Amino acid sequence: MARDSSPTENERPRVRPVSDSADRTAEPSSVAVRCDGVTHEYGTGSSGVGSTASRTVTALRDVSFKVATGDVVGLVGPSGSGKSTALHVIGGLLEPSDGTVDVLGTDLTALSETQRTRLRRDHIGFVFQQFHLLPALSARDNVALPLIERGVSRGERQRRAAELLEQVGLDDRMDHLPSELSGGEQQRVAIARALVADPEVVLADEPTGELDTGTGAQVLELLVDVADERTVLVATHDERAMAVTDRVLRLLDGEIRETGQFNE
Amino acid sequence: MRAIARLTLRQVRHERGRTVFVVLSIALAVLAVTLLASVGLGVLQTGEERFDRAGQDIWITADGVELTATGGIENPITDSHRLAADLERRDDVRTASPLAFHGVYVGTEPDDLELVTGLGVPNTHGDLSLERGTGFSEGDSHYANGTYDGPMSQEILIDPQTADRFDVDVGDTLYVGSSRSSATEREFEVVGISDAYSQFLGSSTVTMPLSELQTVTGTTGTDRATYVTVTTAEGANRAAVSESIQQSYPEYDVRTSEKQFESLLSEYLLVLASGATLVVLALIAGVALTVNTLVLVAVQQREELAALRAIGLSRGFLAGLVGGQGLTLGLIGGLLGLLATPVFAFGLDRVAARVVGFDDLLRTPPEVYVGGLVIAVGIGTLGAIVAGWRVARDARVDTLHV
Repeated sequence: MARDSSPTENERPRVRPVSDSADRTAEPSSVAVRCDGVTHEYGTGSSGVGSTASRTVTALRDVSFKVATGDVVGLVGPSGSGKSTALHVIGGLLEPSDGTVDVLGTDLTALSETQRTRLRRDHIGFVFQQFHLLPALSARDNVALPLIERGVSRGERQRRAAELLEQVGLDDRMDHLPSELSGGEQQRVAIARALVADPEVVLADEPTGELDTGTGAQVLELLVDVADERTVLVATHDERAMAVTDRVLRLLDGEIRETGQFNE
Repeated sequence: MRAIARLTLRQVRHERGRTVFVVLSIALAVLAVTLLASVGLGVLQTGEERFDRAGQDIWITADGVELTATGGIENPITDSHRLAADLERRDDVRTASPLAFHGVYVGTEPDDLELVTGLGVPNTHGDLSLERGTGFSEGDSHYANGTYDGPMSQEILIDPQTADRFDVDVGDTLYVGSSRSSATEREFEVVGISDAYSQFLGSSTVTMPLSELQTVTGTTGTDRATYVTVTTAEGANRAAVSESIQQSYPEYDVRTSEKQFESLLSEYLLVLASGATLVVLALIAGVALTVNTLVLVAVQQREELAALRAIGLSRGFLAGLVGGQGLTLGLIGGLLGLLATPVFAFGLDRVAARVVGFDDLLRTPPEVYVGGLVIAVGIGTLGAIVAGWRVARDARVDTLHV
């Protein structure tokens, strides 16, 4: 895996194309995420003035891929290509219109919303573009939030949150409110929050979108580094982010157009 | 639950301006309720106490009786002594006594007179608790079986307020008359200080034998009285006696003391309704402000809450996180309102004592505080429910940017 690789300013990440069919047939030894023929449509209401017909937008069209356990996979593509939708479908936040999504051997499409919430709580960590930290809580309390409903004692929650914050380099900012932290620091808090419950899968949706180039690269490196042997899917339009991934799925108009591996 | 409570407190403490605003509005709503309840209870209890102290079972009057602080009272019963005598002949009646109120001018100097309530009482009303003095030395001798030519005692009882007002005490002399000019013609000696009747009326009162008040006010010819009060014979059912008297004297209004009190209260229905309306408005404002604030929190933080939902926190937890703020704000506002209640009640009581003359008009028994707390928790709960509902509705993962 390319955990230690990071792009420089002049270095353009290169993707070694592999055929889609090859990816489908090459069964990884242990599959963490599997999407099979996933289609997702958004209803957008009335299609125009005087029209009563609702219009639908197909965000994902017959998307199929697998992610091996421990892989770091980048979902790249321009805005509106469907990468965030793919991430949200994998995380069980959205139900696909068609197809099946399997995460850690569980078919998400067969689960109720409550069961999907429980699956996320126990097995999936999320990092968002806009951090989404509660403004009234300190960095430590924000990180500890996901542990509350897991029945972890307060002392243990605080200990684990502090440990994660140390790992992301914020050991001296634990008691600061989000408003007292820079964008990069807030995203590091969000990364710590995503990992505090020790999930097997981490989904990061444009984690560098709100950050400047240098900070974005650092945060991405940190995410992959801290995630350690976990399966990580990063949705991003930042081509340089691919430098830290093992594999890239390039999406365009809701379809996977290119699948490849980062080639150093 | 403890975690939710801790997080709720953090949120409440973080948004200080918002918290102060909502807490104050809830406190005001609670205060409005507790003060009105205190006044309501006070009026009821004070009235009942006064009627109990009067020791009368049945009150007979006619339409048009209206008590005012300045003694502007009609005396609608004519030939009141005869009516009382008729009633006393009944087996179910122990005593019947006419009672008259009349505005009279009183003062220590002929050119410095003030209008106060004059009360005329027969013998049966002479058994008063006196702060000072001996009370009336003899009965209503001036009446003399309706001839009004018996000797006048020229004795008067005054309440402490009147004593202070005119700077007089037992043994001093007061001019009393129905007009400024006639007052200078009659002097009365203060024979006692008692608040028995001023407490009953809620205004400065001078008390004298009934026939002497009638003479002073020129109503001896018609023998006018405001009430004829009745004590029933031992073992008699006062409601039944009241009904029986009413049938015998349909031209009068005959009421038991409880009904008489209710009748007096009903005259202030508009005031009570206005007070109740203000309280309802205060409650609505408190609820609206709390709900609105919490809904704003839910809406403003919907993406953060949706993100928490995305990382696996349940909808119930998130609803508790925001709804808990409603309960917390309700409790803090309620406690503040309850703490302020005795302070405001004391101030309002002083104002009421000055305006209507009744001390201890505001009563704040534990029930009032419990009621205030229930209101506060109710507002908080309502806010919590609405906010929780909004969170459940808005904290959807599809509100996150996709």
